[in-house]
Amino acid sequence: MSKIIASCKNIVKTFNAGEAEVKALQGITLDVYENELLMLVGPSGCGKTTFVSVLSGLLHFESGSCKLLQKDIATMDDVTLTAFRGENIGFVFQAFNLLPSLSAIDNVALPLTIKGVQRAEALTRAQEMLNAVGLNAKEHIKPSGLSGGEQQRVAIARALVHNPKFIICDEPTSSLDHKSGQIVMELLTKIIQEKGASMIVVTHDNRIYKYANRIVHMEDGKITKVAL
Amino acid sequence: MFRVAIEMLLHDKTKYLGLLIGVAFTAFLVSFAMSYFAGFMTRGFALVSENPSAKVWVMDSAVSSAEATINMSNSSLGIVKGVKGVEYASPLYLGDMTARYANGHFQSFQAIGVDDATLSGAPKPANLLRIPNSVIIDSGGTDGKLQTPIHKKDMWAYNGSHLNAVTRELRYGDEMLINSKRVVVAGVSHTIPRFPPRPLLYTSTSNFKRLIPGEKRYITFIMVRPAKNITPEKLAKRISKETGLKAITSAAFKKETVMWYLINSEDVGDMVNMVVLAMLVGFGVTGVMLYMFTYENIKQYAVLKAMGASIKQLTDMIYTQVFIMAVVGSGIGVGISALFGEAISSASFPFRIMWFAPFIGFLGVFIVSLTAAFISLRPIKTMEPGIVFKL
Repeated sequence: MSKIIASCKNIVKTFNAGEAEVKALQGITLDVYENELLMLVGPSGCGKTTFVSVLSGLLHFESGSCKLLQKDIATMDDVTLTAFRGENIGFVFQAFNLLPSLSAIDNVALPLTIKGVQRAEALTRAQEMLNAVGLNAKEHIKPSGLSGGEQQRVAIARALVHNPKFIICDEPTSSLDHKSGQIVMELLTKIIQEKGASMIVVTHDNRIYKYANRIVHMEDGKITKVAL
Repeated sequence: MFRVAIEMLLHDKTKYLGLLIGVAFTAFLVSFAMSYFAGFMTRGFALVSENPSAKVWVMDSAVSSAEATINMSNSSLGIVKGVKGVEYASPLYLGDMTARYANGHFQSFQAIGVDDATLSGAPKPANLLRIPNSVIIDSGGTDGKLQTPIHKKDMWAYNGSHLNAVTRELRYGDEMLINSKRVVVAGVSHTIPRFPPRPLLYTSTSNFKRLIPGEKRYITFIMVRPAKNITPEKLAKRISKETGLKAITSAAFKKETVMWYLINSEDVGDMVNMVVLAMLVGFGVTGVMLYMFTYENIKQYAVLKAMGASIKQLTDMIYTQVFIMAVVGSGIGVGISALFGEAISSASFPFRIMWFAPFIGFLGVFIVSLTAAFISLRPIKTMEPGIVFKL
């Protein structure tokens, strides 16, 4: 059995929508293992994104426990949690969320810039990551000059440049055509294997299920099935 | 992160330009209004400014401006001259005179009587006042009020006033009547315009008394130059102590005059209200624009926060953006104000850039910008970085 990287037990999260209460997570218990690519699937509104938000420390939860890399994220204060996230987690978003004012290489270097890495070193490492995702020729182009697939590859390079141990991808292929989606997933799989990180992919796209080590099905804030 | 902040600021050129124009306009408005106000106030104490050798001004103890005055006893000049440390003391007589022009029109003047012997306080060439019954006139910031008929037939006509006669500017040799007494224009001066604007009439003491007879007290001010071994401040205190009259330095007198206008003049009060209103509107617009700029970028800050950027880093970024906007914007605004002011001051508008005008322009913009930044930090501090998944 591989080492557990993330462990969540009985996570409960409720949102208040006006007078109504929405139970987004109703006692989720899930472990994520080292080097694992876990896919979180299910209908819209079933709590997938809420769960990864909780897991990455972006959202507070009411009850349960959640450990990431042996650290209890519920007990961390905001400053520690932010620093922990910057150190250990990489994000790939559905809408890429690149900074439109920065070139591709500056976007990739952002996690290192935030950590205070010297600019020259940050750019060298960002350049290496851009080479790894096949965008070495487009390092100075801003996001508006890149295709959707290229932007997502920049986002992947950004998520990996600081060598995080845990990567969270929210619908990484949903804004892309089939071919670009395949390229992105192959890239993610390859880099995960090379870097030895773990990854959770939230997706609706059943064409990429084949890349998963495990597929966790969610419905109404609960895990309904775990498929290997 | 400073570099990232600057790139974010400059990325949307249209938005940046709009913001820059807003900040520059506010700085322009503030520094221009302040300079305009300073220009008016400078005219308010013009009498003091045009007598630079008078370092100490002596007056009735109730007087607190160059504008509203009451005369002192005629013996006060001798008393002040007797104070140790007074190198010379020269009287100044102020009064209102109404002159009848040759075509029958009349005009009020502020009359300024100067010492017969020294002619101290008269505009150059003061010697013209040695001509019998002579006066030197000055527009005092007015326009078209010193007029006399062009044609002889319209002057002192036996058949009454020729009020519609074609006129020209008064000049050397023209005559007027004051209190039914003939005076001759010996010169037309161009001293500092007055606030409120009014024509001026300089004449000698003896002529002054001839034109306004029957006054018991004539001396309005005594202008004093201190001896070399005493400062104006010390001499002013000594004169006050020994004579019971009010004696202050020229700088203090200018300040008192400005304060008097601020407290007593409704015109100046209205002007100040307008300036304050303009400043508030400018500041409000700038503040809202800066707030909106930050708020529109909240998505990007959320992404940075999710990636590990601390609140301090995000705060520094916002303050960097605001600082750059404030420096560049207010620099442009104050610069335009100076150029514009230079252009209109040659057209005799009251415009005077003093150190505090650009300072307040810069300071005001900085305070508003920092406040806007501070307010716009709140949504950034309180946002759940989890919103990045919903963007």
